[in-house]
Amino acid sequence: MIEARHLTYHYPRAERPALNDLTLSIPAGQFCAVLGANGAGKSTLAYALTGFIPHFYRGRLEGKLEVAGNDVAQTPLAQLAGTVGFVFANPFNQITGAKFTVRQEIAFGLENLGVPPTEMAARVDEMLARMGLEEAADRSPIALSGGQQQRLAIASVLVMRPQVLVLDEPTSQLDPAGSEAIFRLLRTLAGDQEITIFLASHKVALIAEFADRALILSGGQIIDDGAPPAILADPGLERLGIIPSAYTELAHLARQRGLGNAGGPLPVTLAQAEAFFR
Amino acid sequence: MTTPFSLYLDRETGLHRLHPLTKLALALFYLVAGIAAPGVWGSYTVFLLLLPPALWGRIARPLLVAAGKAVLPFAVSLFLVQGFFWPGGTPILTLGPFSLKEEGLVFAIRSTGRILALVGSFLLLTLSTRPDRLMQALGERGTPQALTYILLTTLQIVPRFQEKARTILDAQRSRGLETEGNPWQRVRALLPLIQPLILGSIVDIEERAIALEVRAFGRSGPKTNLVALADSRGQQLARWLLLFGAVAVVGARLFLAVTGP
Repeated sequence: MIEARHLTYHYPRAERPALNDLTLSIPAGQFCAVLGANGAGKSTLAYALTGFIPHFYRGRLEGKLEVAGNDVAQTPLAQLAGTVGFVFANPFNQITGAKFTVRQEIAFGLENLGVPPTEMAARVDEMLARMGLEEAADRSPIALSGGQQQRLAIASVLVMRPQVLVLDEPTSQLDPAGSEAIFRLLRTLAGDQEITIFLASHKVALIAEFADRALILSGGQIIDDGAPPAILADPGLERLGIIPSAYTELAHLARQRGLGNAGGPLPVTLAQAEAFFR
Repeated sequence: MTTPFSLYLDRETGLHRLHPLTKLALALFYLVAGIAAPGVWGSYTVFLLLLPPALWGRIARPLLVAAGKAVLPFAVSLFLVQGFFWPGGTPILTLGPFSLKEEGLVFAIRSTGRILALVGSFLLLTLSTRPDRLMQALGERGTPQALTYILLTTLQIVPRFQEKARTILDAQRSRGLETEGNPWQRVRALLPLIQPLILGSIVDIEERAIALEVRAFGRSGPKTNLVALADSRGQQLARWLLLFGAVAVVGARLFLAVTGP
């Protein structure tokens, strides 16, 4: 579903590449998470997958990138919209400002796609229920809390039924329970609806629990790639600007004092930590 | 919490249920009639005629209050400047070196009436029509989407901008910036506000443009609307009659001006 080959990208006037000879293949329906320090290239990769590089941010893009069968460099943004969804961190800026209720805000993308009104109403209602926004349906989008706005931003993109969903730290304004709900939703989308998920996030424990695959980016290159528990169970992640899971750090300290499981990998999730200390 | 900037008052009335373009045509008719009305008190009559539809829409009181507030400063300055400083003219009241001139007074009354009718027709439309519905109606009649978008989003961005300015100001104040006191101090307090506000807003605009593209805003081809605007044959006819009426009023006024006394 996502095929990147030797992708190198320089922002305008930048000397160092933001993406450096990056090759990546993500099959349909995979939930792939990407981690890395600030400036490692996570957001840049997200912009490339959604076509904003090179169509919005100019600069120099080399290599080949195909998303959902579209050669991204050759496909206009308007044509990618609806096929490739994109949610980013600041929820307020994802609200169009042209709609006066949450219900209409969610419908905005469908209106632009020309979806018939009856079908549109059904899809919007389904999305309101799914994202727990029913009670806010008739309120003004700008009067919502940060967490509600973040769920609204996801709902507004998801309602367009994209084949690929790219998210750049979409849980920044959510509390732990809210973040977990989003990860659980992404897991379901990937599993049941075959939507390919590409998520940039710092939430190591949630990634280990819900994602199929984790990538670690540094200096615009993929330096680690594999099953999340395997590559995230490393107290040394901090070198790469990633804060390891609290369970991993705790287990690491415990092991140094001869507590917990002596062999095997360190835990990343709560369930693994339970097994580790048993 | 921010709320959109809009004069709209949510009521369940027949006026509110009218198609936005019908209300636009009605407001336009009042506006033209109010400005073209002859005589000193003509515009005031038109303003009074705004009251029946305003009462129907249960917005008469806010309309009167808002119109009063908006027109008062104009009225005061018109009376002072035109009334006392009309060149030549017939004095009707003398206060020391100043004298109130009849011609100036008549001009001030007539101008105030026109402004009142103008503001009143605008308020009749805006108090009873949700801005997004009006823009949807205009969009359906071929107004470019980019234009209706800009008009609508301004209503929501202005309050957001104010809130942001307040946040920045509070942050600067908590670090010891003096924002109160004499006018010079207030002006100086603006400088550290401007930079984060402007730069922050440029970043916002970039992200907003991306968000719009994600939602297929730039896609050409037919678009649909979640909510259909209720319209009727009667309202279509009424709109044509109102537009025709507005043209007729202008015609009559021109005719009077050419042949008049």
